[in-house]
Amino acid sequence: MANLALDMITTSAILFVVASGLMIILGVMKLINFAHGAFLTLGGYAAYLTTEAGLSPWLAPLLAGAVGFGVGIVVERVIVRPLYHRPLDAILATWGLGIIIGQLITIGFGREVQFAASPMTGTLDLGGIEYSAYRLTLTAVALAIGGALTALLYLTRFGLNARAVIMNETLARGLGIDSARVRLLTFGLGAGLACGAGALITPLLSVDPNMGLPWLVNSFMLVLVSGVSIPSLALASLILGSAQVAVSSYISPIIGGLTIVVLAAVLLRLYPKGLGRGT
Amino acid sequence: MARDTSEAAPGSSVTRRVRRTVLIGAAVAAVVVATAPFQLDIYTKNILIRAFFLAALAMTVDVLWGYTGILTFGQSAFFGIGAYACALVATHYGFGPFWFAGSFLLALLAAVAVAWLIGWLAFYHGASPLYASIVTLALPIVLVQLIFAGGRFTGSSSGISAFPTYYWAFETWFWIAGGYLIAVTALGYLLVSSDFGRLLVAIRENEERCAYLGIPVSRIKILLMMAAGAIGAGAGFGYAAFTNVVAPELGGFLLGTELLIFTALGGRGTLIGPVLGTIGIDVTASYLSGSLPFLWKLITGVAFVVVIVLLPQGLIPILGKGLRRLWPFPRAAARDAVVLRGFEPTTPHGETRSAPLRTADLLRHYGSLKVLDGIAIESRGSELLSIVGPNGAGKTTLMRCISDGGERSGGEVYVNGTEIGRGSPQSVVALGIGRSFQNTNLFETLTVGECLMLARWRIDGASLFSRRNEVALPTPALGILEATGLDKALGTETRNLSHGQKRGLELAMVLATEPSVLLLDEPTAGLTKAERTAIGSVLTSLARVHGLSILLIEHDLDFVRDISDRIVVLHQGALLMEGTVEEVIASDLVKAVYSGQAVETAS
Repeated sequence: MANLALDMITTSAILFVVASGLMIILGVMKLINFAHGAFLTLGGYAAYLTTEAGLSPWLAPLLAGAVGFGVGIVVERVIVRPLYHRPLDAILATWGLGIIIGQLITIGFGREVQFAASPMTGTLDLGGIEYSAYRLTLTAVALAIGGALTALLYLTRFGLNARAVIMNETLARGLGIDSARVRLLTFGLGAGLACGAGALITPLLSVDPNMGLPWLVNSFMLVLVSGVSIPSLALASLILGSAQVAVSSYISPIIGGLTIVVLAAVLLRLYPKGLGRGT
Repeated sequence: MARDTSEAAPGSSVTRRVRRTVLIGAAVAAVVVATAPFQLDIYTKNILIRAFFLAALAMTVDVLWGYTGILTFGQSAFFGIGAYACALVATHYGFGPFWFAGSFLLALLAAVAVAWLIGWLAFYHGASPLYASIVTLALPIVLVQLIFAGGRFTGSSSGISAFPTYYWAFETWFWIAGGYLIAVTALGYLLVSSDFGRLLVAIRENEERCAYLGIPVSRIKILLMMAAGAIGAGAGFGYAAFTNVVAPELGGFLLGTELLIFTALGGRGTLIGPVLGTIGIDVTASYLSGSLPFLWKLITGVAFVVVIVLLPQGLIPILGKGLRRLWPFPRAAARDAVVLRGFEPTTPHGETRSAPLRTADLLRHYGSLKVLDGIAIESRGSELLSIVGPNGAGKTTLMRCISDGGERSGGEVYVNGTEIGRGSPQSVVALGIGRSFQNTNLFETLTVGECLMLARWRIDGASLFSRRNEVALPTPALGILEATGLDKALGTETRNLSHGQKRGLELAMVLATEPSVLLLDEPTAGLTKAERTAIGSVLTSLARVHGLSILLIEHDLDFVRDISDRIVVLHQGALLMEGTVEEVIASDLVKAVYSGQAVETAS
């Protein structure tokens, strides 16, 4: 029972980490980055290369984040910016970008599964319960990312500008906020978070060119259910992640894989604006 | 542009021309399909048969996405349903002509049922287009997981192969696949070129506005989804029967996105583009993926991004333009102007049993902010009731609450004696409400004539496979068109109209729905003095002669004084005063409100 509860909490934390990059981009830019899955994959390969090069696995998420930020900046300039007023097309173009990234990775590394070294192995003793140390660490990382993003949004100049753009972009621009720059940095940040998250989850999984896809769909659903707010993303991750763990352990892992998608579609039908609005 | 009306003779020349185009196109395609198997090697035939089935599926994606604006990721699921219906029945139940036909029927029925469920989930009044995409994204994912969970029965991840099927000659399958593609494409082409097809474009461009013209948008989308699902399942069934292999990927999300790629590259909203695009890309892929498997996919990805960003119309229209430059054949414009015919509307005069419009204790609040607080108004027939009040008084909100049952937080709205309940705008329109909007958001790429036809949809319907060339309009609507010169510009796309003409068209469209209660939100904003006067006299005659009950929001108090019978003053969401023009104009209270002094509301 305690194990199940820990599974729920850590799964939710992982979902939060994975979805946060997508949410930041949706919030500020009002567009859905379907290359999110490919960025996760890119992060996975960054982690793989880091450990292959003999560097500490702890460095992997940071390096992956830096790579993601750089790639994100370029992508925003070249692909996303022209589509700012065609949000449904932006979904498609970023999906196409995902195909490009995936194929480049396939050409570079082949289709086979690779493994990245884990920064820590074994279990931690939590008052009689042995639990995966790495999953617990990830939970702490999720809290740290949530805290850092909140601080970024509420304590910095960039955050103030970003919030202004979230609320009313036209007005924000009228006040002299360079919204193009805010968007550029946001996309870089979101891509960086995605790559970092990809590097963080690789020790739990293997790395292959399509590893990001299931995560993309789940993050997409989570973000739409939560709306744009960090606490409500945490709440949505907790609800849907726990449901997924419960269904997987009590009914079937295959149906468990569907939980988030189906539950999100139903929740959105009942609350079209998501959990975060009106709070 | 407006054409000579003599060309649009009875029997609709447009319909005839579209039918001729389809007939010629289908005949040429049929000749190609009939003779091609004798020129091609087995490998190419094999690839083309599969490509034909996929192209039929892509055609449905184009109708849904290119024409109607529903970005669907899930059309592959219907393909999968058809394929699995074929394989499962043949594997587990039986095989023979009866079983084969039965499983085909089962495939169609299952697809229609699933499409209905998806449509019911995704299309309701006020749903965001993104939500429909989410549901269509969830569908193939759920389907594939169910196939995985099916274990032995569905063959799980490895699928089913070597089930009994008809091992006809390749030529036969080629003709079946080609024939199916030609048939459904011809059907699709007739549909999108018909009046109904213009309606689909209107839904894509402005769904909200369609609802306020009394068009049941959600029901149309659901029906369209069901038809598209059935065609997709038919294609999937043929695919499975031919290849004798089914795998979960046939119903998967990746195929769903590939269909979008085919459609975008071919040219969305052209129907032929996606069909040719699918065949071209699929065949090239089959040849190239042997030698350059990853590189080919990379090239597709790059081409897709480039097309979406730089050439949203896709490649086929560009090719077509190039061809036309080489060989300038006359353009088959399916957009002739229509002929207008006026008729005298039946006036709602005599029946004055109940007030045309009555609200009781109408409430609207956002959280703790009360925008409307217990509004009770009643309008009479043959009356022009103006609603005035400073900005933020709740005037537009009042109109919204009257015309959409889902808007108010409490209270009742009676239209011709019937409470509107939680009805969507189109159901309120059916009760007799007609609403015009503050901003002139029309259907950009539709012509004036098409807009008017759209407005008559609720009463006259729209034919599925033909174009009408005559629109019957009630005389007041016709009068407005004549006053603004629009009757001479029926073939003009609305985005090219002047502001005054747009407002005139807006009003004419609302009148074309033959409302008994007219809600007008600043109909004269931004108009010249002359246009104002013209609209004013039309409105008074609508009320006096045709017996309409008109509710008017206006800021121009002189205009209000000239034409109103009665005035209602709103202030901070409450009814401040109600009375004749003289009473309201003379009121100190109203003067105080307009000069910005604090006023105790009378509620």
